[in-house]
Amino acid sequence: MTLGRVLIANRGEIAIRIARACRESAIESVAVYSEADRDSAHVRAADLAVAIGAAAPAQSYLSIPTIVAAARSSGCDAVHPGYGFLSENAAFARACTDAGLIFVGPPAEVIEHMGSKVAARELMMQAGVPVVPGVTPADQTDHGILTAAEQVGFPVLVKASAGGGGKGMRVVRDAASAAGLVGAARREAAAAFADGTLYVERLIDRPRHVEIQVFGDSHGHVVQLFERECSIQRRHQKVIEESPSTALTPRLRNAMGEAAVAAARAARYVNAGTIEFLVEGAGDSARFYFLEMNTRLQVEHPVTEAVTGVDLVRAQFTVASGAELPWTQSDLTQRGHAIECRVYAEDPANGFLPQAGPLLLYREPRTPGVRIDSGVVEGGSVPVNYDPLLAKVTALAESRPAAIARMAAALRAFPILGIRTNLPFLIRVLEHPDFGAAHLHTGFIDEHAEALLTPREPPPEAVAAAALSVPPVRSAYSDSSSSPAGADPWATIKAWGR
Amino acid sequence: MRTVILRDDQRERRVSIDDNGRVSVDDVPIPAIDLSPGVVRVGDGPGRLAWVAAAGDVRWVHLDGEVYEFEVERAGARRRKGAAHGSLSAPMPGTVVRVDVAPGATVRRGDTLVILEAMKMELPIRATSDGVVKALHCRPGDLVQPGVPLVDVE
Repeated sequence: MTLGRVLIANRGEIAIRIARACRESAIESVAVYSEADRDSAHVRAADLAVAIGAAAPAQSYLSIPTIVAAARSSGCDAVHPGYGFLSENAAFARACTDAGLIFVGPPAEVIEHMGSKVAARELMMQAGVPVVPGVTPADQTDHGILTAAEQVGFPVLVKASAGGGGKGMRVVRDAASAAGLVGAARREAAAAFADGTLYVERLIDRPRHVEIQVFGDSHGHVVQLFERECSIQRRHQKVIEESPSTALTPRLRNAMGEAAVAAARAARYVNAGTIEFLVEGAGDSARFYFLEMNTRLQVEHPVTEAVTGVDLVRAQFTVASGAELPWTQSDLTQRGHAIECRVYAEDPANGFLPQAGPLLLYREPRTPGVRIDSGVVEGGSVPVNYDPLLAKVTALAESRPAAIARMAAALRAFPILGIRTNLPFLIRVLEHPDFGAAHLHTGFIDEHAEALLTPREPPPEAVAAAALSVPPVRSAYSDSSSSPAGADPWATIKAWGR
Repeated sequence: MRTVILRDDQRERRVSIDDNGRVSVDDVPIPAIDLSPGVVRVGDGPGRLAWVAAAGDVRWVHLDGEVYEFEVERAGARRRKGAAHGSLSAPMPGTVVRVDVAPGATVRRGDTLVILEAMKMELPIRATSDGVVKALHCRPGDLVQPGVPLVDVE
């Protein structure tokens, strides 16, 4: 069957990306929005829009009954979950299917199986895919976690058994610091996934994060669309991704691609998915370990689209409708070098603290070979309730150095003012000698923190530009204040004695 | 001729703008021309652009991929010195998850006093100096706004 109308159970840039793919596929799209998103860009990107509740995610984007009801009442025959929110929630996939809706993603039981770190590991070991040593202790007390950590061997990573995205994850280097860190991990896990169960695994030294995009259809075909390297991370969340990875020799690339296909076949995988690996060492002797499978479209999918030239979201609709994959393995090649930068509203100099507030000025660059996926507009604002991703910038060029130069030039021409962002930080990473030399590992940002995070003295040109915007004194108090209603009394002081 | 005083968290700069729009920063002439709202051409070469936005007395500038924030000094306005003496406030809206201290407690610089949760992450609020907790202004479960004092330390 062909899809007629799809509900997009997400917000921000990914909802807009999906709405565009719908339009190209002649499928009608329905956006959903919380109270905080009434004026957001994704609401206007779709053909129809349905209000789904309060700003708090639990009462809107995470509410399964509300979203299923919205899909039914708006006459949808399918639901695309995007990434995050309910995208890896098996109960949601099941609720969609039970309501007669096609879930654009893998079957619920596959999400369930791969969502359990324990079950996924066992399946991978059976399929001959190497895994990182680790355990989910039956005894989940602090003592039990500590005992498990000692068995696995310090340093260890303690993380939520139920989820990903870096939430509820802590590095524990020794027994002395374990208690506090384990408590924090458990609370975050419980808050984010309603399940405080913790998993303990060995920390791989200076690993590179390399993942393989896979795609299966309901006719038993599985292909892999090569790798993305995502080693540049802060708080265990990716900020820069690229393909090809400089860590892979042709031999390693083949081995990892084959392992990923074997993994997807073992999982009976259908639709777009990603097998994440950690790579340790270099050259043909480098080793790779299965980390986890993301049973959804990735944030960084544009990197793969850039180097392979395919449209992954359109292919998701094709496969969801029951048709065969639009490509065979031999149709797929990597061409050129693509890099993606995630532009976040956050303060890198202050622990990458998420920021919320107004976008007083927001102008996207228009340069050749650069794609921008964004979910915000100038004059809009970034709400506190959601992930603070503003935009993804993807640059494609004939070589890695050319892609880096293209990306840095694009970011220099991307002013975002009114809220702190990681844009200056991204440029510093791109231009760091070790990034240019591809000396990448997941601790890159911590290792180079000083060079990447130290504030710079404003040049006099910046001071001059700021001064020109200050009107002569007589009208100085008439410019409208766009700052969020602050509690700081000094911020609200206007003219004295007038 | 008018004078504008701009401050960042390090120091002040005195900018003079003469009647022909020529700009000097700390008495050094700097070429700068308003092109359109929010866009200023700076320097001698062509095409070097600064973008500027205003929010009350705050000025944001994007130049060459760096972003700078300044505050415009107002004649008569009192100099702002961080928050009130030793009071620690929420950096962003969030929910108080845990309060680790009670009034009267002795704390050391770097001690975690309160844990907030915002955007699904835990944010520890730490003491910025050694001292004694004078007052607590929050309880677990409270929704707090940025700038609102959570704990006073003296």
